[in-house]
Amino acid sequence: MPSTKIVSVATLIWLLGVAVATGQTQGGNPHTGNEAAIKAGMALFRFRCADCHGMDAKGVRGPDLTQIWASGRTDEGLFGTVRNGVSGTEMPAVDPRTSDDEVWKILAYLRTLAAPTLTDQVAGNADNGERVFRAQCAGCHRVKGRGGRLGPDLSRVGNARTRPMLVRRIRGAVEDSLSGYEPVTITTKNGQTIQGVKKNEDLTSVQIMDTRERIQGYLRSDVRNVENPTKSAMPAFGPDRLSESDLNDVLSYLSTLKGFDPSAPK
Amino acid sequence: MRVTLSRTVRIALLLPLAGIATLVAQQGAPGLVTNQEILDGLKEDGSRWVTFGGNYANHRFSPLTQITPENVGRLKQQWTLQTNTLGNFETTTLVRDNVLYVTGPQNVAWAIDARSGRQIWRYRRELPATGLTACCGLVNRGFAALGDKLFMTTLDAHVLALDMKTGAVVWDATLEDYKTGYAATIAPIVVKDKVIVGVAGGEFGIRGFIDAYEANTGKRAWRFYTIPGPGEPGHNTWAGDSWKIGGSGVWVTGAYDPEQNLLFYGTGNPGPDYHSESREGDNLYSDSIVALDADTGKLKWYYQFTPHDVHDYDSTEVPILADLTINGRLRKTVMFANRNGFYYTLDRTDGKIIVAKPFVTTTWAKEIDAQGRPMLLPGHKPDEKGETTCPDLTGGTNFWPPSFDPRTRTFFVNAREACAIFYAYKPEYVPGQRFTGGAQQLINTRDQKPFGAIRAIDPTTGDRKWEFRMETPSRSGILTTASNLLFTGDSEGNLVVLDSRNGKLLFTYQMGANLHGTSPVTYMLDGRQQILVPAGTSLTAWALPDVPRSTAQ
Repeated sequence: MPSTKIVSVATLIWLLGVAVATGQTQGGNPHTGNEAAIKAGMALFRFRCADCHGMDAKGVRGPDLTQIWASGRTDEGLFGTVRNGVSGTEMPAVDPRTSDDEVWKILAYLRTLAAPTLTDQVAGNADNGERVFRAQCAGCHRVKGRGGRLGPDLSRVGNARTRPMLVRRIRGAVEDSLSGYEPVTITTKNGQTIQGVKKNEDLTSVQIMDTRERIQGYLRSDVRNVENPTKSAMPAFGPDRLSESDLNDVLSYLSTLKGFDPSAPK
Repeated sequence: MRVTLSRTVRIALLLPLAGIATLVAQQGAPGLVTNQEILDGLKEDGSRWVTFGGNYANHRFSPLTQITPENVGRLKQQWTLQTNTLGNFETTTLVRDNVLYVTGPQNVAWAIDARSGRQIWRYRRELPATGLTACCGLVNRGFAALGDKLFMTTLDAHVLALDMKTGAVVWDATLEDYKTGYAATIAPIVVKDKVIVGVAGGEFGIRGFIDAYEANTGKRAWRFYTIPGPGEPGHNTWAGDSWKIGGSGVWVTGAYDPEQNLLFYGTGNPGPDYHSESREGDNLYSDSIVALDADTGKLKWYYQFTPHDVHDYDSTEVPILADLTINGRLRKTVMFANRNGFYYTLDRTDGKIIVAKPFVTTTWAKEIDAQGRPMLLPGHKPDEKGETTCPDLTGGTNFWPPSFDPRTRTFFVNAREACAIFYAYKPEYVPGQRFTGGAQQLINTRDQKPFGAIRAIDPTTGDRKWEFRMETPSRSGILTTASNLLFTGDSEGNLVVLDSRNGKLLFTYQMGANLHGTSPVTYMLDGRQQILVPAGTSLTAWALPDVPRSTAQ
């Protein structure tokens, strides 16, 4: 069982991070991180957007908005989408009575659901964190073109996950898996087992990446069994495997990962 | 120069044409679409599909038997049509004289050669660049036909007649001003000389209605408001002025009973969708089925499935008519699987409840009492803190058509098992803007994942005969055939064919996009049974490759 004490310490560190970050702006949104504006943005979101995008912004009739920054969208691009709508779809331009300032507030609120904005200014040693990461995590996680592929690519994780989310995930307090990374075990007709993560599936087939990173689809009719273990493929890194200090360094390193530009000179 | 033919010559010219018309009338070949053809529904010769549900009773059941459980695995694609638009098909294709009449997203429509999938004509409505208010997809659910005309509704709330031969607009009637929240996606039906349509806009503060237009001229014959005006019965079920913006749209096609000359239409949610205090009262005739005289639009009876709905449980599912023996008595019934989670069999002469039973997990009402009123369970009024209710807002089922097999008296529905947290807050009404007063959060966790199932229901009891489970809820309609086949789709893009007797999976094919809100249709072409499958932006015809073509006709 993960220690509640550790989680509390992590939360405290995170809160400190928030405190440090408050008042800073990032990108083109004048309200990013501004508590009052975020609160106003939440009210606006609930009135204008939640009906289609869901109260939690994870999508109902319209798409999930919690991963849009992580997917590479920018504040300016999203502002345009809200202001002008998406032509040829049911996404309307926002009510003309909604001011530009209010649109920025909506985005400032969404950003708090989507990601850590600036919460990770922690006093860890990012260089040591990278070394620990390379030794313990890079077998499964890729960063900027290096590392394994079985787990999610973390090149943008500094924009995509809050510190508490990362702590829970690393310490093993969360057992469910991201879609596309759920563990799967296939037993072939000759009794061989293939372990991996599930990329997709339907009535007749399942698509996986196996532990050797081979991507492959299997017809259900060709195999004996497809098992979906509920435990995440991500091992729990308790304090015995990753000290509090190393965890802090790793988090510090992860917070620096804001994206990967493959066209940048090496 | 005007040429005048002598009377004798004219008769001489007409005679052979009349002869051909008589010869081919049974096969639905050239000439005009007749009221009799529509009344006849789907015939054994399989030559046509000329109204939304195949017949007025909306059975979506074909008498064709060339494709069977034994040979369905040999089905082969004949051709594929792509819309080249955004959005997806939600249409029921009409078929006549080897030509397909198809409406697509964005109010594009086609006449297509059924043999080759090649376009004969294409129509595209120039839609307003901004201000369309269709809530949930720029879709269209299909044409109706009569004579040499096709009828379709438009996203900017018009109804059009198109020339079947050319796609040219013959007349164009305005339902209401789209800028104030009205839209139309419904497939019309033709009854006698009238075109019956409804409007969408339950999320935009409209006042819903069902309209009839003269098929020849486009002149409005009658209008039935789904929210009664001052002085009319039911008006007092809306507090204050809430009736003016109470929604109750009509966006899915109803049924028609020629014997009683009655139309049966399901009506949409009251608005604002979730905020109870904005519209105290039962809110008639929202979330109801209304029985209207087809000539006058006068209300014969109504039944309200969900009085004072606060979960967006539109009753815009497709009603199905059949005469059923229940407890030893032959009853004229209308069957209805409702978004609110209950399956109903009603007496279609008076709207009285015969059967009402949940067909999915339903937590807002315990049961339906003998008078037909739901017995509410406490704690299911949304507020700012949120409350959990099953089904979710998309419902136990929704606009995708069910099917009915009259031989086995089985009702087939594509059901959803899902729950949600519903929130409500007081909304402000602004014409043309969304007016829902809340939102939902779908419950989707490892321990509580929504799923779907094709369910076969005995309409005399509401009991389940079998089910076919699907990992995720799907939005596909259902087609059944006299050879015990059931065609539908799952949420992962598969065309799914089941044995309608037991739900056994017989055939799948990955279409690359979902069958959404509609079902395949089937017909005969040159001696071979065709299955026409709409999926995403594609329409694909399937047939058995080893059946020889016969083009003798």
